[in-house]
Amino acid sequence: MPSALAPLPDDIPLTRITCTINGEQVVADAPVDCTLLTFLRDIVGLTGTKGACLEGECGSCTVLIDGKPVTSCLMLAGQVNGRTITTVEGLADGDALDVIQEKFVETGAAQCGYCTPGLIMSARALLNDNPSISESELLTALEGNICRCTGYASIVEAVRRAHRELKS
Amino acid sequence: MTPQSTKTDAPRTPEVTIPPADHLVGKNCKRVDGREKVTGLAMYGADLFPQAADLFAKVVRSEEAHADIVKIDTSAALAVGGVLGVYTHADVGGTNIHGLIRRDHPALAEKRVRYRGDAIAVVVAESERSAEAARDRVHVEYSPLPVVATMEEALSDGAPRLYPEGNIMGDKRIRRGDVDAALAAAHCVVTDTFHTQTVDHAFLDVEAGTGIWDGHTLTLNAPGQWVHEERRLIALALGIPVEQVRIIQPVTGGAFGGREDISIQIYLGLAALKHPGKTIGLRYDRAESMRARHKRHALKIEYTLAADREGTLTAARITVHSDEGAYASTGIAVMRKAASHATGPYRVPAIEVDVYGVHTNNNPTGAMRGFGACQMAIAYEGMMDRLADALEMDRVALRKRNMIVPGDPVTTGQRIDNASVHECLDAALAKFNERPYPGNDGLPPHLRRGWGMSAICFGLGYGDGFPDCSRARVEINPDGGATVYTGGVEVGQGLLNTMMQIAGEELGLPFEKMHVVAADTELTDESGSSSATRQTYFTGNAVRIAASELREQILDVAGKWLNVHPHEVTLQQGWAFETANDANRVSMARLYDEGLARGYSFKATGLFKPRTVPEVHGTGQSPRAFITYLFGAHVSQVLVDIETGEVKVERHIAAHDVGKAINPQSVEGQIVGGVAQGLGMALMEEVVYKKGRILNAGFTDYIIPTIKDLPPVEAIIIEHDDPGGPFGAHGVGEPPLIGAVPAILSAIYDATGVAPDTLPVTPERMWRLLRMRDGVPVPV
Ligand code: FES
Ligand code: FES
Repeated sequence: MPSALAPLPDDIPLTRITCTINGEQVVADAPVDCTLLTFLRDIVGLTGTKGACLEGECGSCTVLIDGKPVTSCLMLAGQVNGRTITTVEGLADGDALDVIQEKFVETGAAQCGYCTPGLIMSARALLNDNPSISESELLTALEGNICRCTGYASIVEAVRRAHRELKS
Repeated sequence: MTPQSTKTDAPRTPEVTIPPADHLVGKNCKRVDGREKVTGLAMYGADLFPQAADLFAKVVRSEEAHADIVKIDTSAALAVGGVLGVYTHADVGGTNIHGLIRRDHPALAEKRVRYRGDAIAVVVAESERSAEAARDRVHVEYSPLPVVATMEEALSDGAPRLYPEGNIMGDKRIRRGDVDAALAAAHCVVTDTFHTQTVDHAFLDVEAGTGIWDGHTLTLNAPGQWVHEERRLIALALGIPVEQVRIIQPVTGGAFGGREDISIQIYLGLAALKHPGKTIGLRYDRAESMRARHKRHALKIEYTLAADREGTLTAARITVHSDEGAYASTGIAVMRKAASHATGPYRVPAIEVDVYGVHTNNNPTGAMRGFGACQMAIAYEGMMDRLADALEMDRVALRKRNMIVPGDPVTTGQRIDNASVHECLDAALAKFNERPYPGNDGLPPHLRRGWGMSAICFGLGYGDGFPDCSRARVEINPDGGATVYTGGVEVGQGLLNTMMQIAGEELGLPFEKMHVVAADTELTDESGSSSATRQTYFTGNAVRIAASELREQILDVAGKWLNVHPHEVTLQQGWAFETANDANRVSMARLYDEGLARGYSFKATGLFKPRTVPEVHGTGQSPRAFITYLFGAHVSQVLVDIETGEVKVERHIAAHDVGKAINPQSVEGQIVGGVAQGLGMALMEEVVYKKGRILNAGFTDYIIPTIKDLPPVEAIIIEHDDPGGPFGAHGVGEPPLIGAVPAILSAIYDATGVAPDTLPVTPERMWRLLRMRDGVPVPV
């Protein structure tokens, strides 16, 4: 038997979470040890946000809380009570893609696409805050997001193009 | 005389102008799956949770690297609330065995576990939490056996025998010319030993999927790399007819060879069979994914290379030991690939290669991007640099002197007509020289700069006479568009676009009118694996064959409609028109109705199955070991911090002959992405074992390149039509990784004067090498 046993299901109490996700008020119960990532994906059913490492290393699970990027695998759902969350599903306006999404498609930055939602959210946070960003600020903002497929060139290009378009 | 059309009432001169011809081959059509991927709507295996799952499965894995199973006690697990069943080997109805080439891996261990990830039982519960709690409460009693942790241990006298045959899984040999005589006569002989490491694929999308048994069909939504082969393996292991298994590939987040071996499928299938009518969900987490999955082979390569006074290569003697881990997996193919690529793109008249697969109690090793070939490139390119030094010759000149030209043989004796390695290296060097090399002047004393290169070749497809074929179907739709059906799986590489663009080009359709259905064993025919850089060439050819058969049908019907000979019909942008008079035209949508009325199917299939010739046993020689060869060359520039041992890649140029880039953007994406994985392999990635236990089964300790580790990679696409490929294309998946690693090592050698022989070159390893170079004692 493994040394640390997973807890028995009935040992875990539920807690009520109230927050705003992509502009909509959400009220749901979640186990007290539930991460924000699991809450979003398994309880709210928003599976656009991905989990790949579950230890804060890859950025796949990045969402915005009150406009700031966080790795949702490292937060408990209980911590978002009363706060405003934006996930990748909240960016497009109907059929109209967010400019960052559009540029990701244009440059082929989504190969397997698993890193893409997290990267787009990191980029969104960067471009929200900064009318003008340097190359090194761009790289620093995306440094916490791992992509195993692209070698990043198409991603950098997408964010650059989005930045250019937002500025003009 | 062309018969008159029956549709005399149809308008012959619509007002719209036909848009100019738009060639889809060579065009950066936006990825068909781009939109769903950037909006988060793409459904990967793990996204089918929990909405689609009624019940949840978890896998119990061995806590021992090598042990006999004495007893499996499931009572505590069954007592957990919500648990519906715990299943072991005794519950599996079929052979309970899988394995991609040699079938030797029990799906659920019966008597013995051979690595610390071997599956023992499957737990099914009403919630995932119950399943997890129960998984941890299955009590397995082991009788531990001695663990064989390394190849050295496996080969030592008195080593425990892991299999009745011993610890050598198999061997592969190349013999050509008289190596002894050539070595004796050589002016210069260099020898070195290389150690390449165990690497994890680390695709981001960990194994996850769903399965359901409806009493007739077992349907699995699970990511793999070869759905039809997975179907066979699952059916055999579970003991149900293959026709009763359906695999549907969900959107898949990377593979790189890591999905070639069976992962969740048999466990999902077993759970589904035990709970008819219920959708079962199963997902791993990162730690389980790394612990369960096969890895890239770690190789020990002893290499002796000889040359005459002018630097012409005369002989190579190479011995390779390959850590096969606990089970065979694709090990046989990897050994063969290592042997057949042992001397790379160089002319060597006398060659002796011996490759041995060695079993240990580490994870099984199997397919990973560039398998076998990538480790050998590290060795042969490393040897070229060492030989250049020994001969006091220029590194480029030595390579160019020995690189094959069209008609020369490679390691297998196969003569290569399309050998473009000279051109690749010239292109990479020319790009490098476009900017002045900054050299070491003005650098602070703790920094040293260097540059290096690599030249590589790669045999595409399975080769060696192994059956290798693709099938495809193309159909015209009522709206005049077309749908491509292929069994090939999209794992991120861009296969869907490639196939749509090939068919669209052939049919003169705009990209928006193209559709694709892929990797569903019910709807698509077998197209082999998405591996071996083979899909563009193999399935691309099958798609083109199907599409050109369809084109003939369309031309026949259009000729009748337009009242011209079919040869006088042009297909363009969804229209068919008389080539000399585009006012005489008809839309494809209209033609579709006309064709059906005339009894045409407007469906066609394509089969592409070229033969390779098995390598002669004992000599490894074959006139056609591989269907075609690919070439590439890289130049890399690094900065080494000689105080910390840190290596920074400042520039990296990768030139690849891809035949024809069907979609240049995805080709470039493959090149840059391959370089990134190569950089990881060169400098940071290593699965570390201690007595069969992985010490770094997570991204905190298994380090992958980030955006800041990569320079802007300069990709050069060279296009020499491959006469056998669709529109001249061959493929690009693996070569970029193969070229990247040796170029970076070559640059480190140039910067520091020490030639790394053990991978990865982490700061610590580099620092130790530099201290050894300077004769400073190195702490253990
Ligand atoms: S899943 Fe949260 S950082 Fe990797
Ligand atoms: S596109 Fe696959 S991980 Fe980034």
